[in-house]
Amino acid sequence: MNGGKVTLGRTAGLYAGAAVLRLALFTLFPGLPDLLTGRVEISTPVTSFKRLQEGLFLYNHNVSPYDGGVYHQAPLLLPIFNLLPSFSTFPIFTYLLYIAVDILSADALLRIAESGEAGSSARFTSPRRDKRWSGAVIAALFLFNPFTIATCIGRSTTVFTTCAILHAIANAISGCHFHAMIALAFASYLSMYPLLLLPPLILLCYDRQKQPAGPRAPDAWIKFTGTMVMDVFGALAVLFQMSFMLTGSWEFLSSTYGVQLTLSDLTPNIGLWWYFFVEMFDSFRSFFLAVFWLHLSSYVGGLSVRLRQQPLVVITLLLGIFAIFKPYPSIADASLFLGMVPLYRHVFPLLRYSFVIAAIIIYATFLGPAFYHLWIYAGSGNANFFYAITLVWGLGLSLLVCDLAFAVLRDEWEVERPEMVGKEIRQI
Amino acid sequence: MRRFFPSFLLSLLSLLCFSPYAVVANPSTTSADSTSVSDSRSDYHEQLILRPLPLSALLASFNFRSNTSLSAFEAHNFRFFPRSLGQILQHAGTRELHLRFSLGRWDAESWGARPWNGAREGGTGVEMWAWLEAETDEEADHKWLTLTNALSGLFCASLNFIDSTRTTRPVMSFQPEGNHIDANATNMHLLYGVLPHEVVCTENLTPFLKLLPCKGKAGIASLLDGHKLFDSSWQTMAIDIRPVCPEDGECVLQIEQSIDMVLDIDRSKRPRDNPIPRPPPAHEMKCNTSKPYNAHDTCFPADSAANQDWSISQIFGRPIKGACPLTDPTVSPVCIQVPDSRVVFASEGAIEKKNPDQTSRCFDFPAENDFEIFLPAPDGSVEVVVDQLVNKPETPLLYAERSFTGHGQERGGVQTILRNPSPDQEVEFIYMESLPWFMRIYLHTISVRVDGQPGKADDSLIHEVYYRPAVDRARGTQLEVRMTVPPASTVFLTYDFEKSILRYTEYPPDANRGFDVAAAIITILNKDQSVGNSRFAAYNLRTTTLLCNLPTPDFSMPYNVIIFTSTAIALAFGGMFNILVRRFVAANEGPENGLKKGVNKLKAKLAGVLKKTKKGGDKKQGSIFAAAEEVTTEKTE
Repeated sequence: MNGGKVTLGRTAGLYAGAAVLRLALFTLFPGLPDLLTGRVEISTPVTSFKRLQEGLFLYNHNVSPYDGGVYHQAPLLLPIFNLLPSFSTFPIFTYLLYIAVDILSADALLRIAESGEAGSSARFTSPRRDKRWSGAVIAALFLFNPFTIATCIGRSTTVFTTCAILHAIANAISGCHFHAMIALAFASYLSMYPLLLLPPLILLCYDRQKQPAGPRAPDAWIKFTGTMVMDVFGALAVLFQMSFMLTGSWEFLSSTYGVQLTLSDLTPNIGLWWYFFVEMFDSFRSFFLAVFWLHLSSYVGGLSVRLRQQPLVVITLLLGIFAIFKPYPSIADASLFLGMVPLYRHVFPLLRYSFVIAAIIIYATFLGPAFYHLWIYAGSGNANFFYAITLVWGLGLSLLVCDLAFAVLRDEWEVERPEMVGKEIRQI
Repeated sequence: MRRFFPSFLLSLLSLLCFSPYAVVANPSTTSADSTSVSDSRSDYHEQLILRPLPLSALLASFNFRSNTSLSAFEAHNFRFFPRSLGQILQHAGTRELHLRFSLGRWDAESWGARPWNGAREGGTGVEMWAWLEAETDEEADHKWLTLTNALSGLFCASLNFIDSTRTTRPVMSFQPEGNHIDANATNMHLLYGVLPHEVVCTENLTPFLKLLPCKGKAGIASLLDGHKLFDSSWQTMAIDIRPVCPEDGECVLQIEQSIDMVLDIDRSKRPRDNPIPRPPPAHEMKCNTSKPYNAHDTCFPADSAANQDWSISQIFGRPIKGACPLTDPTVSPVCIQVPDSRVVFASEGAIEKKNPDQTSRCFDFPAENDFEIFLPAPDGSVEVVVDQLVNKPETPLLYAERSFTGHGQERGGVQTILRNPSPDQEVEFIYMESLPWFMRIYLHTISVRVDGQPGKADDSLIHEVYYRPAVDRARGTQLEVRMTVPPASTVFLTYDFEKSILRYTEYPPDANRGFDVAAAIITILNKDQSVGNSRFAAYNLRTTTLLCNLPTPDFSMPYNVIIFTSTAIALAFGGMFNILVRRFVAANEGPENGLKKGVNKLKAKLAGVLKKTKKGGDKKQGSIFAAAEEVTTEKTE
């Protein structure tokens, strides 16, 4: 009991520290929020706070924000921000909202970490599971990650998606399937791509559901999956209906999700899509759009089947893949993935390239803004400079995703072959 | 780089199709001539107004106007009205058309108010707006497309490039000039298109002159020469077609063609054989003797305008080749706006008529002789005040300048400085921008600030905003703001925008030159209905066009980018696939893979061969082979 109280105090202190740090950055450097909002690494066309303000302005002046090329975010964000006191006069309320969302995300991450799901799931228990960090450490690693802080100060609307995804996972682990599915529906409604997390999340829910007495019916999983899918799509239908009532037409669909599907806005970002489709020949544009989306969704099935015993790992790896290969990625997506990685502290010794990965991420973090400056402002470099650094960033992150997958699989394998711990192995 | 082939062919075709009409219609019109001149329903007049401006500039305003009665027009009876244009208008259901070809910048600070109160000018490039008769928006768009394509062929301009991204439907800025019976009817559609990048040149002037009854062979139009017109500091060619209904009598369709140009007198007088400007020799230099340091070896050059002599043939390169015989004899063909105190010589046979306002005089001259005007340099010292030589320019109602703020190719701002010179009158106007879609403007950043009150936005000056946001690749931004500027103050109107990066095929060949952004149109509203030449606008002005630099990709490497990105994706996918589908084994377990297998086989074979040779060698030679054998075994171990 005593230990519990200490932890409670510690997490409260942690959250307070994170909030104070963010508040200090907001208030002591008044130029910082707008500077970060303008950075392409933080704000993408589908998450930019400046575009949200423009959408809000048009919404308040009876111009449909979706009848234009600027606002590509979900309609329900408009009334939420409209309820807050006006940003131009009382920015503090917006700051507090963003800080609160970040702390909610950290809290969900803490719950995930405390559950120990990463080390011992329903079907698999890692021999190394004892070697793990406490939830507070993992929450701290998320909250004090410079990427997370920059995202919060830059007021990117990705934080809402991040929060919804983490809550979906936390609820799935604690057995609240319905809440998990609602949270996932919210995430999908805001950013579309989290819908791809549905299969591993259903597996996670299925594994962690409260066991009824007696053996399960053999086809119970079909019924279970059906319910889950119905929950998500029902929630999505309600959200869409509300959006329709709010905006009065269905044009928000093509403006929010259509832009992600067709990549009509080619604003530079840290992903691999924009430059590819700037340089793509017109006749092949739709073909490669289809290929890129197919590639992005192709991981879901393979990972879910191969890592059936550890659905949380599947979700983590998918988040990493989305952070690299989704149409408009930003460092906010990387910060979510990097926030999930410390859950696998127990397999860190099995990582093969941790130094290389850390070096690449730091290298790209510092060189990216510099090269962007050379291209856009100094004029002494061209677009290839920034493109090259996005390639490096993408390769670094994909190395981390692959290495994590390798470490987790080896950990699984060593349960079968305990004598192989620490031995050299190979794959055939 | 003019591309108008399909539309040009189209208009040619349509002309060919109509040609039988021309044959049939001509005799009837000529027979009707004698009557139609007398009832003045169908008439023509032309007038050139020369106005010397300060700083050795000369404004020449050419105006040509002809009428045709609506009934004759509908019966395809064209007399002075150009047939080619008339048929296009009928085909496209156009009720009123305005077309502008412009070049250069009007320097309001030194030249004052614009000619015609700005009603006959356009922004740099080509501008056009028309009222079309159509039941639906789609039909109007279709007719607009027909009209632009046909006019593109007629005027040799890239008007066919006015597509949906360059077309807007202004709500507040334009009002029909003509008398329409059903002016507010729903079947009248106003469409406005602008091509700021279009370079206006001789090939646009030639078709313009062909529309005139005298075709530039006689009358004031004989002065219009591409070399002079497009060498001017500012020029605008306008065509306005509108129905006019006099209170008594039949409605007529009126076409008004006007050309306004500001010539630099010094530059125009420069001889063709010695076109490079050189400083004049010291003894020819005219000094401003009012300067205190003026001495025999120091000279401050006198204001060149103070000492100008010029004649029409010096400025335009030729005299007027007699009056156009078709013109209305009651309207003097040439007027010059100089104070009555200045001496003006005209060629023989010309009649000078001084206007009672003492600032202008007009000349009538016969059709047979060339006509020439000569203004000698005034006598006496160079201190003669400019006012006595040149009419003092009228102060415009508003000065406007527009520029970009910020740096870099990512984002920027637009700042318009609006200055009201009047000490006691506030100015109410409509500010209209039609911006290309790749400038993503943020309307929430629009702000108005009065000069002298830094940091304080004054939104009460904005009364009404009409905004239609751009849609990528489909529609441009349309912004109309109704606002006022208080008396004797300067107002800054600013907003932010973001520059988008385009697909590499969407850039023009000279991508790093930048993209032209059309001029902002300012329409000052007419509060007092009796002043101004239009019932709606008291004064129009346009800012200059802007050049917007967008970020550019590397145009040379589409293949490289496709290859590099695909490689990165293949590495990630391949790496993941490899890890997922292959089994783990200890390093020394499992089947050997291809290469290792081969190497091991080779080793085994080598070892076998060596063993055999060793056995044979032992028997025959002994020690040398034994030593070699020792080395190989060491290696294999």
